[in-house]
Amino acid sequence: MSELKKSTRTSFAEAIVELGEKNPDVVTVAADSASRYGDFIKKFPERSFNVGIAEQTMVSVAAGMALCGKIPVVTSYANFLAFRAAEQIRVDVAGSKLNVKLIGTDTGFSSAWLGFTHLALEDMGVIRAIPGIVIIDPADAAEAYVATKAIFEYNGPVYMRLRGRKEEPVIFYKKKDFKIGKGEIIKEGKDALIIACGGAVYDSLKASEILQSRGIKVTLVNMPTVRPLDEDLLLELTSSVDNIITVEHHNTTGGLGSAVAEFLTEKRPQIRQLRLGVKNRFGTAGSEDMLKKGFGLDGETIAISIENFLKNRTK
Amino acid sequence: MSITFEEIDLIKQTADLIRKDCIWMSTRAGTGHLGPALSLAEILATLYKSVLKVDPQNPKWPDRDRLILSKGHGCLALYSILSQMGFFERKLLGDFCTKYDTMLPGHPEIKLPGVEANTGSLGHGIALGVGMALAARMDKKEYRVFVITGDGELQEGSNWEAAMTAAYYGLDNLIVIVDRNMLQLGDFTENITRLEPLAEKWKSFGWGVEIIDGHDIEKLLTAFNKIPFVKGQPSVIIANTVKGKGLKIAENKVDWHYKVLSYEQYEELKNEMSLEELYHE
Repeated sequence: MSELKKSTRTSFAEAIVELGEKNPDVVTVAADSASRYGDFIKKFPERSFNVGIAEQTMVSVAAGMALCGKIPVVTSYANFLAFRAAEQIRVDVAGSKLNVKLIGTDTGFSSAWLGFTHLALEDMGVIRAIPGIVIIDPADAAEAYVATKAIFEYNGPVYMRLRGRKEEPVIFYKKKDFKIGKGEIIKEGKDALIIACGGAVYDSLKASEILQSRGIKVTLVNMPTVRPLDEDLLLELTSSVDNIITVEHHNTTGGLGSAVAEFLTEKRPQIRQLRLGVKNRFGTAGSEDMLKKGFGLDGETIAISIENFLKNRTK
Repeated sequence: MSITFEEIDLIKQTADLIRKDCIWMSTRAGTGHLGPALSLAEILATLYKSVLKVDPQNPKWPDRDRLILSKGHGCLALYSILSQMGFFERKLLGDFCTKYDTMLPGHPEIKLPGVEANTGSLGHGIALGVGMALAARMDKKEYRVFVITGDGELQEGSNWEAAMTAAYYGLDNLIVIVDRNMLQLGDFTENITRLEPLAEKWKSFGWGVEIIDGHDIEKLLTAFNKIPFVKGQPSVIIANTVKGKGLKIAENKVDWHYKVLSYEQYEELKNEMSLEELYHE
């Protein structure tokens, strides 16, 4: 980890400007959410549209453009995109396999004090219920930047989660490329296997350091693509262990933990899984740190949960 | 543009065949939204025979006009006109809701040549049309985008979001035709959630509006020739129609939203309406 701090939204805005310069078909559609596109609006006003506070219209308008060969990107608070426009995403975008990029922002705990209406902890569940949409939850700003570039290389619908405006520690500051559907081992250890995505990668890293200080060495995998899962990597890693832990800033129903469990229950039914995330609760108001603690997803609590899980396993 | 008797006659014949095809397909399948398709016959016949620039041999021609049937449940009529235009073989109509994974399901999908968007969930078409009309403008293309909505469909709020957006962007290459047959699934529109004064709603949203008899081919042609009704504004035609038009027992009847003839009823009407044999050898 470096001293560098940056928000995933800033990285996205930088990447989208560069993509706009390279490809004249890249178009942005906003629902009073144009600030997320940064300088794109100023640089390419003829390719920037704002439909007002109307997420359903934003998605359908983008689909209409995609049907005419454009590569539109839409963005809003993840809840208002994934929930309010779910049906437009399903019918207009996914149903026609259109090349529309859906960017849900302020996910996980990053909308903090805005409270439960804004805390996006179920958005992946909605999108995962719709066939054919790639889902990406980048761990940090560096990954968000390369992931943004990568999703425009891919021809089809993608949902990507970003967090808020707040600057966050950059973990993968050396990251140069992003492969959709690929996870990466960021730490190796023999005692436990942790799979994390999005903002939870940072807290899992913290947890792994705490565990290490207590003599527990873990393998930590960053799994930014929640669909399609890196099944090859999961099979490889689970060939020699009997447990797995998933960590996410999302409800344990419908997100990474679900996706991993659904896969392993068919391929490695002997493996026990601990799904760390939000358990069938709505978000609430608080600072990000308060929320992580409150939901048991700060580094220390993750470490304790893993320790307990490992102890119970050996009984 | 002057309108000739020959043109009107050709459109009338096309509309007549749309009706026969709709009745034939739905009776064979034992399913289909027959009433909402029959009210569309003259609108679709006029558009495809005289208004739309399309090339059935090259359905993805980039410069073509686009037509979105936002009231996707009216697809029987769309399938008929597309087959009459040669987008696909006439015999494919027999696949309507009779074969697994058919190209002609109960609501239209883009896998069928000539269909521009998946529709069936109401309130999507206008916003899709806005996207297409904006794409035309970005690409400096002349094509126009036509969207046919139901009248009950206008109870979906998404239509009015899209109507505001279209007016804001001054999309005079976007045309909405409201199939104002006064009925929806459960009752007359005005008995469920009142739409009137409908023309005033559209005007206040910044659209140019014409109200016409949606079964009068000459009036349809005249209206289409005047588009855009107001320069720099999107246009809407409120086409007053009769649900189930042309099939006496279905006309203006609420229960004919999603109802079809029995084989016996079909045989009884066959001679009178010059309908096809239900099954060919």
